[in-house]
Amino acid sequence: MEPLTWTGAVGAFLNPIFAIIVGLFVIALIVQLVLGLFAPAMTLQANPDGTLAGRGGALGATETAGKYLFLAVIALILVYVIAPLILPYGMVGIIGEMSQRFLPVWIALIVTFTLSIIYRRKLGLYGKLFDSTVGMIGFGIVMFWVFTAVFVGLFDWIATHDYLTQVSGLKNKTPGVPVPEGTVGDIPHYLLGGDNLARDIFSRVVSGSTFVIAIAPLATIFAFMVGITLGLPAGYYGGLLDTVLSFLANLILAFPVILLFYLLVTPEIVQTGIPSYMAAFLFVFPLVFFGVLLNSRYYTQPAKRTAILVPVLGILGWLYLSIINQKGTVIDFLPAWMDLFDITILVVFVSVVFVNAPTVFRIVRGLTLDLRTRDYVAAAQTRGEGAWYIMLWEILPNARGPLIVDFCLRIGYTTILLGTLGFFGLGLSSESPDWGSTINEGRKLLLIFVHPALPPAVALLSLVLGLNLLADGLREESLKD
Amino acid sequence: MTDQPILEIDKLSISFFTRLREIPAVMDFSATVMPGEALGLVGESGCGKSTVALGVMQDLGVNGRIVGGSIKFKGRDLCAMTPEELRDIRGSEIAMIYQEPMASLNPAMKIGKQLMEVPMIHEGVSEKEAYARALEVVTDVKLPDPERMLKSYPHQLSGGQQQRIVIAMALMSKPSLLILDEPTTALDVTVEAAVVELVKDLGKKYGTSMLFISHNLGLVLETCDRICVMYSGEAVERGSIEDVFDEMQHPYTQALFRSIPLPGADKNARPLVAIPGNFPLPHERPDGCNFGPRCDYFEAGRCDAGFIPMEPVPGNDRHQSRCLKFQEIDWNAPLQASETTEKPEPGPVVLKMDNLKKYYEVAANALFGGGDKKVVKANETLSFEARESETLAIVGESGCGKSTFAKVLMGLETATEGQILLDNQSIGDTAIESRDTKTVADIQMVFQNPFDTLNPSMTVGRQIMRALEIFGVGVNDTERRDRMLQLLDLVKLPRAFADRMPRQLSGGQKQRVGIARAFAGDARIVVADEPVSALDVSVQAAVTDLLMEIQREHKTTLLFISHDLSIVRYLSDRVMVMYLGHVVELGSTDQVFSPPYHPYTEALLSAVPIADTSVKKKHIVLEGDIPSAMNPPSGCPFQTRCGWKSKVAGGLCEKEVPPVRMLAEGHQIKCHLSDADLSDMEPVIQIAAE
Repeated sequence: MEPLTWTGAVGAFLNPIFAIIVGLFVIALIVQLVLGLFAPAMTLQANPDGTLAGRGGALGATETAGKYLFLAVIALILVYVIAPLILPYGMVGIIGEMSQRFLPVWIALIVTFTLSIIYRRKLGLYGKLFDSTVGMIGFGIVMFWVFTAVFVGLFDWIATHDYLTQVSGLKNKTPGVPVPEGTVGDIPHYLLGGDNLARDIFSRVVSGSTFVIAIAPLATIFAFMVGITLGLPAGYYGGLLDTVLSFLANLILAFPVILLFYLLVTPEIVQTGIPSYMAAFLFVFPLVFFGVLLNSRYYTQPAKRTAILVPVLGILGWLYLSIINQKGTVIDFLPAWMDLFDITILVVFVSVVFVNAPTVFRIVRGLTLDLRTRDYVAAAQTRGEGAWYIMLWEILPNARGPLIVDFCLRIGYTTILLGTLGFFGLGLSSESPDWGSTINEGRKLLLIFVHPALPPAVALLSLVLGLNLLADGLREESLKD
Repeated sequence: MTDQPILEIDKLSISFFTRLREIPAVMDFSATVMPGEALGLVGESGCGKSTVALGVMQDLGVNGRIVGGSIKFKGRDLCAMTPEELRDIRGSEIAMIYQEPMASLNPAMKIGKQLMEVPMIHEGVSEKEAYARALEVVTDVKLPDPERMLKSYPHQLSGGQQQRIVIAMALMSKPSLLILDEPTTALDVTVEAAVVELVKDLGKKYGTSMLFISHNLGLVLETCDRICVMYSGEAVERGSIEDVFDEMQHPYTQALFRSIPLPGADKNARPLVAIPGNFPLPHERPDGCNFGPRCDYFEAGRCDAGFIPMEPVPGNDRHQSRCLKFQEIDWNAPLQASETTEKPEPGPVVLKMDNLKKYYEVAANALFGGGDKKVVKANETLSFEARESETLAIVGESGCGKSTFAKVLMGLETATEGQILLDNQSIGDTAIESRDTKTVADIQMVFQNPFDTLNPSMTVGRQIMRALEIFGVGVNDTERRDRMLQLLDLVKLPRAFADRMPRQLSGGQKQRVGIARAFAGDARIVVADEPVSALDVSVQAAVTDLLMEIQREHKTTLLFISHDLSIVRYLSDRVMVMYLGHVVELGSTDQVFSPPYHPYTEALLSAVPIADTSVKKKHIVLEGDIPSAMNPPSGCPFQTRCGWKSKVAGGLCEKEVPPVRMLAEGHQIKCHLSDADLSDMEPVIQIAAE
């Protein structure tokens, strides 16, 4: 087999056109920027039909030109993405084949966006996201990785080879290298080359996404449960409770995060059981949260309350016990048939929740301080509502805007944190495909071979960027209400 | 002075552009302000009066644009000016005073610096001269100790003082036009009266023309020469104050006057008439007359057919009306006798306050809690009774302790001393958690701010049903839902509102939901904390009438907390006037509103603007601000501002808190004045013989 080039046979014809158009677009942008410095301030001019008129003159012309050139660039990129779906294998090179591999993701994205845009007026804040370009781009990037993770994790679709198989002779080979005859795999090439253990980098990167997408949101949710359950009473009651909790939060925030992680994964510390006890403590908060949430809402109707509370707490309790119960640690009391799963990376999970919760706590506390002075809170107080009902049903729902935005941002931070943990090899097995570990492995020969370290780094960057853009879009749209 | 107008607005149209559509905010608006003249711009919120002001300032933001007409300032077209020319005019020739004084001052700059900036930027004068000018203007706005004022930061001043500084700043460069956008809405009544007085005097002194924007007709009557009434983006009537107030020629103006409580209105014999329907949204305005759908004189096929121009009213000076039928309507026809109701007899005493005291301890040092503790006396020896189906109004300015009293009554705080007796059971020491459901359901509250009273993330129906759940009404959800729908009927809201979110409701509708929620457990005592002060005039009348009607049906005791004496006179049976935690006067409405008064009541009465040209008021302006409750004056709480203090011999007012005196049956007063002095008092409000 021939090695694949980046853009293949089609590229030989398309690349020059692409280069020219991108060049023109950049020139138009620069001209527009320069002209814009000297142009008079734009005033709104209305057309007779009530729409706004554009700007005339040279600046207006470059603005229009720039717009069309940008569209042309987008159209060409789409050609690179769509052409390989109809052309035979290898015609559009590595890029084409990667696009081909991501076909299920493209379809899922198109379906998601079409449905969301059609029904956006009925979808609340999520629907409003589709009014903001920035938010849409962010959402697109995030969903790209979410779908990738789902399809790789559940159906094993996108990855081309097994991410652990080493193929002799492919160590540190550059992108597009053909695999030897008889190698198990969907295609006869390593699309992004091989790493220093001769494994397929492309497959490792897409498999690594499952790790991040599964852990980051989950850990963030736990951190929010802890932060909310403690932040609400601290803000609502104030006083000594607030002082103590805030002090503890500051204490945790003041401790160097990396050092904390190193401590938590040290075998001696694990043996003392500290991480297990921390897990037992931190993961009880969701139980408390949902228990109090439902009880405060339904306590006036005891029959209904019991009917709802018992199954919810039963399931949550079982999950809780399964999570904290680990073979070979200090907490190991459940019979094997009851232990649903063993989380190998419990330590990572605990660490991430532990360092994120105090920040959430401070945000929730601040929001509560503001919201508790509202009249509807006073109205709830004057009809004799309990404190937890007021906190969870009157205050929390109205704090949701900033909390959702922070949630998106925080998943991004958690992703970075997971990358860092992987990079230092903390709590993860050495062949784990997660992005942090992969970057760390690529780092060792970075001066000679760049290609093993770059793809996971780009993946990490794009996901966090997507989350930040999504958060920006949400913030912008939630303020417009 | 020449006869050239200072400001000439001709057929002005302003639109805001959004992604979806163009929203016309002001249409075909014309107005002229002559030198030294004050023009009042009146209308409900959303009618475009502030947009006109911003249009004059050419400060419409990125989305706003003047789409037609012209604004001429001293003959020059403001729309055609360059940004540099506009910058030159703003602040020096045209000055604007905004509603929120704290938001108009830079909190990080000393007052003096901010004032001195104005002449230094516009006239390039030296720092020394600017300081001298600042000192002079601050003296002009009657602030005590001007030099210290100039050295302080905005947060060190009270709201009234801040607004005076804003006025001073506007006057620094001796502008020819002063635009005031609701300048006193955020202030207390007595402070408002003083500020209005000041603006009037300074307008005369400097010969400044004024554009006075307000929703308060009474205030406009006191300050302006001419008035322009706006409705839904259009001027509907304009003319001199006398013409418009006495010979109104537009149905909206008439409806507006019928919906505000003027002296003589009575909740039983002559109730207020609310304007039916709702204010139209800017993009949902009807064809033809905007007021058509709510108008009593509406004639289909005529009033809704195309544009209606402003027509001059013959015989009057520059008096115009935007109504096709104004010459056909008999404007003097008496109000159709709306249903009059019998005044319900007050029943047995349900609520009794006995010597209620509420003190707060404030630590001097917040961080370590040690040091001296200061005691804030929020309520001082409150004693009164409230009977079934009686309306007791509690009147006073901010900081007088009415909210604290409400909190103690509701059980959110417990009393320091004294008792609250509900049906002869003491509840003053019982916090709300330990009160039984019946007691809690019996005492409920209606809140002030309609935008805050409902939880924004719960449907209206859910919120009422929650109250029903808590009060143990109904056996299951279906029963409660029925009851909730009945409550919506009670407050005259369509049943479909049950599934709406609060943001889909207007302010008045939200307030109705608040009332429905308060009556969920058949409350016997309802504390209404300024329930209508944040609403538009036409909606106020409807909500007030609703409260009265429910009260009659349910024999509720209504404790009506307000600072608006017009509405208090209209709906209450008895009035309690509070000042700095003390009850200074208590009596039936007639007793309180006629002499002899407590000096504070007298000042309050004189401060309330009344939108009636036939009313003659005695003019009493209180000096200074309300003292802080942290540091109350010695002796009588009111002695620092009292105009009658000199009549009491021996400085008694500064030494002793006056005792409670009974003047007549059920009329008590806390004052040192002798009986002779009290009987010498003249009535503050007199209605001239018609």
